[in-house]
Amino acid sequence: MRRGAEAAGWRALAPALIDPGPGPGPGPGPEERIAARRLRIAARLDAKRREALGEGAEPKVAEEEEEQRRSHKEIEESRQKLAKLLFDGTQMVTNIQVAADLRETQRRAEEAERKLQRVEKLANEAKSSACKFEEITSKWALAKEMTIPQELWHLLNQQQQQCALLLEEKNKLIGDLQQELKNKDEEYVQAIKKQSDDIYLLLERMEEQIRIMLKTYRHKLLQIEKAFELERRELLDNNRKKWEEAIQAHNAQELAYLHARMRKVEEYEKQLNQLRVEDEEEYNSMKIQLENDVQNLERQLQQMKAVYQLNQEKLEYNLQVLKNQDKENTIIRSQQKRKLNRLHTLLNNLRIKLAKQEKQFREENQSLAADCERITGQCKEVQRRMRHFAVSDAEKFTEVWLMNEEEAKGLMRKALDADRIIHTQQLGLPWEEPHYWFLDNVGPLGRCKAKRMATTLAEEVLTESSSGGQEEEEREKKEEVGSGEGGKENTVKVEDRVTPLQNISKKTAKRILELVSDESGFLIESKLLRPLHALGRHERTLMKLDSIFAALEIDSEDDLYQLVDFFLKYKAQEAAVGQSQRSPGAEDVMDPAEDREDGGSGAQRDKLKSPRSSLGSFPSVYIHTDDVLTILKAFVQDFDKLREKDQSAKEVLQVRDSSKDGQYWEALARVIPEPTLKLWDALAVALEEYYEVLTRRASLLAEAAILQQQNSELCLLLEEYVSSGVSAASSSPAAWGHPATCARIRGHRHGGRCPEPTGVSPRVLLPAGERQAVDEPEPVLPRGSAVSAQGQDTAFLCPELKLGLEPGLPGRD
Amino acid sequence: MQQPAARGRSTATPSLYPFQDRFAAGLNYTHRIIEDPEWTLATVPHLTELCLQNIVHNFKKNPILDRLLPEHQRKVLDRLPTGLPLAVTANLISDEDYWKRCCIERWQVCDISNYGDSWKRMFFERHLENLLKCFIPNTTDPNQVLELIPLCKDYVRKLEVDQFLPPVQEDQKEERDDLSVTGSDFGFGEVSMHHYDLGDLITALPHLEELHLTYGVKDCGMNFEWNLFNFTHQDCSNLAVAVKMCHNLKVFKLTRSKVDDDKTRLLVHNLLDHPCLVELNLSHNLIGDKGAKAVGKLINHSRLETLDLCNNQIHHLGAQALAQALAENSTLTSLNLRLNCVEDKGGEAIGRALLTNTTVKSIHLGSNNLSEPTAMLFSQVLAQNTTLTSINFSCNHLGLDGGKQLLDGLADNKALTEFDLRLAEVGQETEYLIHQIVRANQEAARLGSLQQPPAKTL
Repeated sequence: MRRGAEAAGWRALAPALIDPGPGPGPGPGPEERIAARRLRIAARLDAKRREALGEGAEPKVAEEEEEQRRSHKEIEESRQKLAKLLFDGTQMVTNIQVAADLRETQRRAEEAERKLQRVEKLANEAKSSACKFEEITSKWALAKEMTIPQELWHLLNQQQQQCALLLEEKNKLIGDLQQELKNKDEEYVQAIKKQSDDIYLLLERMEEQIRIMLKTYRHKLLQIEKAFELERRELLDNNRKKWEEAIQAHNAQELAYLHARMRKVEEYEKQLNQLRVEDEEEYNSMKIQLENDVQNLERQLQQMKAVYQLNQEKLEYNLQVLKNQDKENTIIRSQQKRKLNRLHTLLNNLRIKLAKQEKQFREENQSLAADCERITGQCKEVQRRMRHFAVSDAEKFTEVWLMNEEEAKGLMRKALDADRIIHTQQLGLPWEEPHYWFLDNVGPLGRCKAKRMATTLAEEVLTESSSGGQEEEEREKKEEVGSGEGGKENTVKVEDRVTPLQNISKKTAKRILELVSDESGFLIESKLLRPLHALGRHERTLMKLDSIFAALEIDSEDDLYQLVDFFLKYKAQEAAVGQSQRSPGAEDVMDPAEDREDGGSGAQRDKLKSPRSSLGSFPSVYIHTDDVLTILKAFVQDFDKLREKDQSAKEVLQVRDSSKDGQYWEALARVIPEPTLKLWDALAVALEEYYEVLTRRASLLAEAAILQQQNSELCLLLEEYVSSGVSAASSSPAAWGHPATCARIRGHRHGGRCPEPTGVSPRVLLPAGERQAVDEPEPVLPRGSAVSAQGQDTAFLCPELKLGLEPGLPGRD
Repeated sequence: MQQPAARGRSTATPSLYPFQDRFAAGLNYTHRIIEDPEWTLATVPHLTELCLQNIVHNFKKNPILDRLLPEHQRKVLDRLPTGLPLAVTANLISDEDYWKRCCIERWQVCDISNYGDSWKRMFFERHLENLLKCFIPNTTDPNQVLELIPLCKDYVRKLEVDQFLPPVQEDQKEERDDLSVTGSDFGFGEVSMHHYDLGDLITALPHLEELHLTYGVKDCGMNFEWNLFNFTHQDCSNLAVAVKMCHNLKVFKLTRSKVDDDKTRLLVHNLLDHPCLVELNLSHNLIGDKGAKAVGKLINHSRLETLDLCNNQIHHLGAQALAQALAENSTLTSLNLRLNCVEDKGGEAIGRALLTNTTVKSIHLGSNNLSEPTAMLFSQVLAQNTTLTSINFSCNHLGLDGGKQLLDGLADNKALTEFDLRLAEVGQETEYLIHQIVRANQEAARLGSLQQPPAKTL
């Protein structure tokens, strides 16, 4: 709505502005009217706009600055209005200039157009006139040729006419131009008039503007002042009101305080009075009490005085007594002094004696210390000798042992041979050579555990582990096979291939050792380091390890184990989780193999096996290189302690353990087991019987031979006889001579003579022998004699062994 | 004709003063007799008073001022007549009140604010201006001016001469002029028609900062002749050399003087690399495209901040040259090309220059026969440029569409505070809307510089 009105206003203004433009013609009357109308329109527009703005501005102000003061609002409002007014005024004033500009531009445009036209016209005219002039000039030449005066006159007349025409045209043009000039002059005059009008209008407007502005300024100033006044008054009122209120409040409060104070004063007065009375009473009572006290004290004073008197007397008496005593004491003191002097001299004497004795004792002590030293030297000597002897003893012992063992082994071998012969030849049974651990033992027991040097061990580890996994597998296989093949081989293997690092996988060990060698290079002497570079990696590591072990004082196998073990323990402590899991399967797998082993070897293997089963517990312990030094440090600290303990343990270990010797020898003695012995006994009996039978048979054979001889003699005799003449009795001697029949007949006879049950077994056991004996009696004898000789040997051996090893031998079961 | 009258008046007043004094004294005299019976004739003025009176009387011959006590100085200055020769007073008296009296005595209308609030400066400047206005070459004694130079050189800072009289012709020639107007135009060409040469004067004024000149005759009335307004080449070269020598000049205005292209070039040639020149006004002359090119060159070879070329004959070529200069320039802040004939080609060139320029704040292209293409380009300018605060497009043919374009371009502009589109045929509604936007921008600018909001708008 408002917008529309505004637009209408603007539209209305525009014609007013444009209006004066095109009319350079209209006189001052219309100009004035136009100006008046413009003024009116401007005023109306202004009013409208002011209204619109006022409406528009007020809510905005109210919105934006609600709490702003009314005066500020007023100022703002009037400022806007005045700005509007000013803008409109300047617009109105400058409108004249703009209109004049427009007029000027339009005039210029028109002028340019007219100029163009004029130039064109002039050009045309010049052209046409030039033509005409040429025509005239051409005719002059013609005139010269004219001879007839009339014609010439005619021509001249014509020429004159044409010239006149040309001149006329030119004059006309000049006239036109002059007319135009006059018009221009008029226009100019009009323009000047217009300009003066404009200026007049401008002045008028400016004056009006100034007037309006002044008026509005005054008005606005008044309004603003009023607003300020109002505001001030309000403020004053407000403040006065506030002030009065505050004063009233203050008065009331003061009154209240006064009342309160009065009340308090009264209260305090009362309290004071009360306190005074109380205090007075108290004072009185205390006075009475104090007076009583005074009386009492006076009485006591009197008493004390009496006591004093008494005491004085007593003391005087005492004084007398003491004086007497003093006298006595002086006497006693002199006596004591004398005594003291005497004792002093005594003391001095005693001191001198003591010094003498001390000296004497010191000398004695020195001599004793020298003695002690000598004795300790002797003792050491003795110890050294003893050690020497021990060594020689041990050597001797081993020599004796070896000798005895050799002997025993010879005997054993002999027995075993006999056994084999008995088994194979006599009994016809397959013989199996027994496998005992002691059979292969050479030298005293326990000596096989000689400590290897740490470095060699390390070397072994490193070299072995270079083809570690493979070899290990190989060994496993071999072991299994070996266990199947036989105990002997197995034990050999085990003895040979004792794992250098008992419970640690080689890989781990190798890695640890390499780590140690790499990280603790500072322990190696710098002189050593340089040539090391020339060597291969493996050798370098070995050399390094050697020097490191030397620095750490690790020289034996055990120390190295401890070192590696310490590393693993250290790691295990750190990463305890998951390490404690043991593979139970490993033990289970090994158990059957263990069970098959014989007692001693089994025990030994046990030591090796059980740690081996724990191989899996350290699958691959990762030791960081940075930790190596800390671990080594800790190890060195712990290692010293361990070594001290070890030292004492070693001393003890020097004494040889002879508990197993008896067992060993016993075992050697009992190389032939009990059942075999029994078998042998039984065999001996049977063989004896068999021997008897054989001897009997031999005698019988001899008898038979004699009889045969007799028979042949008789035959001979008979033949002689026959030949001589007797033929009827020749068939009977053939029945006599057949041995089978003879034997059967004899056997029956003998069977009746010996009915013991034992007679049955040899017959069962030795059918071949019998047969042999029957078939070939001659070779039986040497064999039988051999058996008997063997039997005699064993019979001789056994008691001897029994005699030698009887004490402390527990029965085997 | 004015000056003698003024001088007569100024010379008449001093002679009146003593009489008035005496008259006043006489009045007092009688009065006192009546009022105070105890008063006696024996009471005479103090000696100092008398001395001071004497000093004032003989100030012309024996000026004594510096040696007096301040209160006495005050008294002397109050009583000094204004008609004293300048040779005496100029360098001796610096009291503003005295010069105020002189000014008011001589000119009715005195607006001191145009003269740096200094009455003395005003007096000397106007005195010199009057002298120059009435100077007729070959007739007036040039010493009249030269004598004044040592007196006024310390005070003159601005010279505003709107009239230079040509040399006086012989009577016969004037008579002949009446007979033939056209003949006179050529006839005077032979005679020296040169105006007063400012060279001597200007170079002798060390503090001169502003120079406003108009080579023309005022109030010629029916004596009008074209040759009264002839700014000759000699004048121009003299002026150019003089201006070149004037190193403190800041404002140079040469208006309504028929300065054409050649003269412009001559002037510009001498103004190149001027150390101080800040404002150049060559409005209402006859400068064409060549002159505009020369001015364009000047823009980039000086410190010009304001350039006014209104009402000349610059066409699009000149405008393009100016635009090119504008595109590279970074000092000019205001350009006025009102009432030229720049047209769309020139307008577009200027618009393009304004796309890159960041110093020009105000541009006036009123009455330049511009139309829609320029409006389109300026809408772009309005959208991009953030330094322009005032644009004037009045009296062009921008058309309704051009107005819409400008409105669109103005939509996001926050810098423009003045935008004149009167009689630019842009349509009422568009003009109203643009006006609203500009009002809003003005308001924003006012709030932006909130130091003294009422002072700015009221």
